[in-house]
Amino acid sequence: MSTAALHAEHDSHHHDHKESFISKYVFSMDHKMISRQFLITGIIMGIIGMGMSLLFRLQLAWPDEQFGILETLLGKWGKDGKIDPNFYMGLVTIHGTIMVFYVLTAGLSGTFSNLLIPLQVGARDMASPFMNMLSYWFFFMSSVVLLISIFVETGPASAGWTVYPPLSALEKAMPGSGMGMTLWLVAIALFIVSSLLGGINYISTVLNMRTKGMSMNRMPLTIWAFFFTAILGVLSFPVLLGAALFLIFDRSFGTSFYLSDIYLEGVGALENIGGSPVLYQHLFWFLGHPEVYIILMPALGITSEVISTNARKPIFGYTAMVISLMGIAILSFIVWGHHMFITGMNPFLGSVFMILTLIIAVPSAVKAFNYLATLWKGNLRFTPAMLFSIGLVSFFISGGLTGIYLGNAAMDIQLHDSYFVVAHFHLVMGSAAIFGMFAGIYHWFPKMFGRMMNNTLGYFHFWFTFISAYLVFFPMHFMGLAGVPRRYYQFTLLKEFDVWMDVNKLITVAAIIGGIAQLFFLWNFFYSIFKGKKSTQNPWESNTLEWSTPVEHLHGNWPGEIPTVYRGPHEYSRPDRELDYFPQYLPDETAPVTAPQEGEQTAPTEVVPEKTVESSVFFAAIKRVFGLS
Amino acid sequence: MADISKFARRKNLFWFRKMKLNLFGVKSNSLFKKTLAIFGLMLTPIFLLAADDVVAAPTEFNPMAWDWSSILTLVLAILIILVIARSFDIGSLTEKITGKTIVSWNNVNAWAGIIFLVLGLIGVWYEMKVHGKYLKLGDSASAHGETLDSMFYWTFGFTFFVFVITEVLLFYFMYKYKYDKNRKAAYFFHNNKLEIIWTIVPAIVLTFLVLRGFSTWTKITTDIDKNSEEIEVFGYQFGWKARYAGDDKQMGTANFNFISGSNPLGVAEDSAVSSLVQELNGEIVKLEAVKAAIEDSSKLWKAQYDRYVSTGMSSSYPEEFKIMKSKYNDLISGAYERQLEKDIKRKNTAIKRILAYQKDHETFNGTAKDDKITTEIVIVKNKPYILKFRARDVIHSAYIPEFRVQMNCVPGMPTSFAFTPIRTTAEARATKNDPEFDYYLFCNKICGAAHYNMKIKITVVGSEEEYKTWLATQTPFVAPPAAPAAPTAPKADSTAVKQGTVVKN
Repeated sequence: MSTAALHAEHDSHHHDHKESFISKYVFSMDHKMISRQFLITGIIMGIIGMGMSLLFRLQLAWPDEQFGILETLLGKWGKDGKIDPNFYMGLVTIHGTIMVFYVLTAGLSGTFSNLLIPLQVGARDMASPFMNMLSYWFFFMSSVVLLISIFVETGPASAGWTVYPPLSALEKAMPGSGMGMTLWLVAIALFIVSSLLGGINYISTVLNMRTKGMSMNRMPLTIWAFFFTAILGVLSFPVLLGAALFLIFDRSFGTSFYLSDIYLEGVGALENIGGSPVLYQHLFWFLGHPEVYIILMPALGITSEVISTNARKPIFGYTAMVISLMGIAILSFIVWGHHMFITGMNPFLGSVFMILTLIIAVPSAVKAFNYLATLWKGNLRFTPAMLFSIGLVSFFISGGLTGIYLGNAAMDIQLHDSYFVVAHFHLVMGSAAIFGMFAGIYHWFPKMFGRMMNNTLGYFHFWFTFISAYLVFFPMHFMGLAGVPRRYYQFTLLKEFDVWMDVNKLITVAAIIGGIAQLFFLWNFFYSIFKGKKSTQNPWESNTLEWSTPVEHLHGNWPGEIPTVYRGPHEYSRPDRELDYFPQYLPDETAPVTAPQEGEQTAPTEVVPEKTVESSVFFAAIKRVFGLS
Repeated sequence: MADISKFARRKNLFWFRKMKLNLFGVKSNSLFKKTLAIFGLMLTPIFLLAADDVVAAPTEFNPMAWDWSSILTLVLAILIILVIARSFDIGSLTEKITGKTIVSWNNVNAWAGIIFLVLGLIGVWYEMKVHGKYLKLGDSASAHGETLDSMFYWTFGFTFFVFVITEVLLFYFMYKYKYDKNRKAAYFFHNNKLEIIWTIVPAIVLTFLVLRGFSTWTKITTDIDKNSEEIEVFGYQFGWKARYAGDDKQMGTANFNFISGSNPLGVAEDSAVSSLVQELNGEIVKLEAVKAAIEDSSKLWKAQYDRYVSTGMSSSYPEEFKIMKSKYNDLISGAYERQLEKDIKRKNTAIKRILAYQKDHETFNGTAKDDKITTEIVIVKNKPYILKFRARDVIHSAYIPEFRVQMNCVPGMPTSFAFTPIRTTAEARATKNDPEFDYYLFCNKICGAAHYNMKIKITVVGSEEEYKTWLATQTPFVAPPAAPAAPTAPKADSTAVKQGTVVKN
């Protein structure tokens, strides 16, 4: 929307131009503020999620030890300084839920899609700022409900983050399946609403609100990644909502979608007949697998941008990167069965899913090789963001390769639900995605807050986190190959696993070091918001459009007209230029400004960036998606 | 949907911007209070929902009992971190003031990458050396496990190669191409030949792995020996039981409706099932009695409740009072009665279903009588087995890492896994040099608090004779005819049971 129109209206309503505290910081409709809200909520949830992992790591490393502090912290769940087995399950569950949904979905894609989509495609704001605001507040409500569920008397949901019924459906099956589970379902339902509101917005903004000259093939790879992520979310989250609704029906209204042939100790044979617990798993993983890419793709997009900028070199194989993102996005919808090889589904179906799953390795390999090729003959500046991006590539390789083991149905018989799986997904989607998030934070912090973060602290943060992440997750491969099952409260009752006690201790110590290393980041982040060095307009000498906006935030992003885009985002180290970067928004000195090359003239008439009406943009997006216009 | 923003602006839907707060009689324009009030309003329904269950204070507020030393250590650790953090600020300040670069971080990071790479690879090698022998690779105790292990080695060879190459390149590039202000990065966008190569080569390797995986998987899951001996493995919260067919070599049918204290697997055996019906009828009678007396008990509980409140015992015994209050609330709100009705209805359904089954001679064909329910599994080397899995309550997963066997046990969906053991327990003890070694079947699907301790021992014996000797020591479900048969409730007072026996006879 145009600034002029917006401000005129704004001024006529308020005598003073100043926005109130609430409309500026709380119910803000400015995408930059919403992205900060997502980020800070995400960081707080991340601290809680990580704290939980440290608690259960303590239990795994020293199962016989008593920690007085646990009783102080947890009350009845930490009686005599030992974590209660039920609460251990609750910790594992809530850790997973928080990390997967609240930190790496909302905190990552919510933050950076909101910040970067309008800034990098050249739009004044999102297609619908109001929906954008709602998206954050649904997310906030969802977070609050989830946090409340931890304090429920019967404990939080404890059936694992996948909450498979019947364990999660029967209140008598475990304490966590009572009120805690109800709140979990409420929280997830709210979360899905938030995610859909956001996703629809991202898609319509990318499709319809690009500035003059910003054709699809000139978009930074971040935008491509956010775009595919949003499409995945919009298509898959509703299925989870369906799964959750059926579960709510089964829990509260006596239906039997997921229940059949159950005898519960202390209750007797249940009436439910005809349902199937495996149905839930199909529905869940129909979201669950795209969800993995919803988490990972924004991180990959951020990495592409950061690596290209800091290597002072065009990203290698832009088209191949986009195509492999697209390939990953499409394939991610037809591979969910690889989470279910040993649920007793038809073995033939298993082989189909195995073949489709292993195909994903090809686009993933292309991406990894392209990152390497981008670094090759670059001129690498090791900003903290760059280091985290390189860390991501390292995790993406080492975690991705183990996917070839797990995607193979035959090997999955042995490795399913073992620590090998824990190692695999914590590297490839946990650590990799969180590193992508850190890279994004360090890189775009000047854009978000107008100040710089301290680089030295960033380096310490990176190296401690990188080393401890490898120390935590790499040894888990070995445990998994030895057949150590995951989600065990302790291993002392099974003599066979005694040899892994020292490894468990190593992992816990590394995890604690990793946790402490995050204090560097937290200090750096919150201190720099208020006291950091003032940022220049383009601190990383980057090409993309967001660095053409003023340092001080402005509702509407650009004070004057939105700049026109003249070329792709990765024109670094052009031989004919003295500087090693050439921003997208600077006209070519040799060519006349008014005549861009290669049929880009169609773009401005198509895009109409001056449009003020949000919902018409939204409808235009839908029309375009379905080919109606 | 109209244009939301415009609509909202026109209709002045941003009421909260201008809202004047009047909360608890205090008029306030304070933004902080407004915000709080809005949060409060949004969260009230959820608080109400969870109100009764939320614990106010987990333990009594008694700072003396807290673990102050740990807390202090934690606080100290955080403080130290913050001090270190500040000292870095000072470092960068001195750099700024003196104008000299003290540390070239770009070089430090480039070198750190190389050091990390070298130490990391040494670490992988070291871990392999220390724990390599515990990995379940190459010493599979089952026949199919060997094909699976070879599959593993192929994949390992390929991925480890790629892993080392790419990680080395990554950190080497990091070192080699570190920033130099006199150099300009290369300017190129793509190289079609290179890209085609690194798309095609992984594709070929993966095709090979897929084909191999496909054949291995198909062989394991579908190539099942017709003469395999069946063993039923039954998972429940929290343990396992096994069932052998017994002398008639025929496994009797089973159903979750037949499960009772004396019939843990719910096998279709007439006398056990009839006594279950009797038991259920007895419980229904009891529940009906409780339901009939519900008014009297409400009065009693009310009297008790009033006594607690009037004498002040409610504050001196908060725990007891809380329990009593919730019971009393259940009674007066009718929740207790509804629960009773539900229980009665469920038990009636169970009886109805059991009676329907009892008319069916295919279910009650008498083959279950000699079935043997055991608390350990004994199998014979080189003999094909098929494990039939059932779960009683929630999903469990039968995991025998030594045999490369895993299959979920799903309530309502029978599953199975076929395998042939090729190494006896004694042999495994000898090779592992551990005289106490035993094979175990673990639970590998989260199933509740004691999930971590849900296992059953598997013993592989060398000869059929050993197995038969063991099986002979196990008692059949119904003692053989020589011993007096269990009474089949001839004078059953419930009509339901009579019907059942009549049909059977």
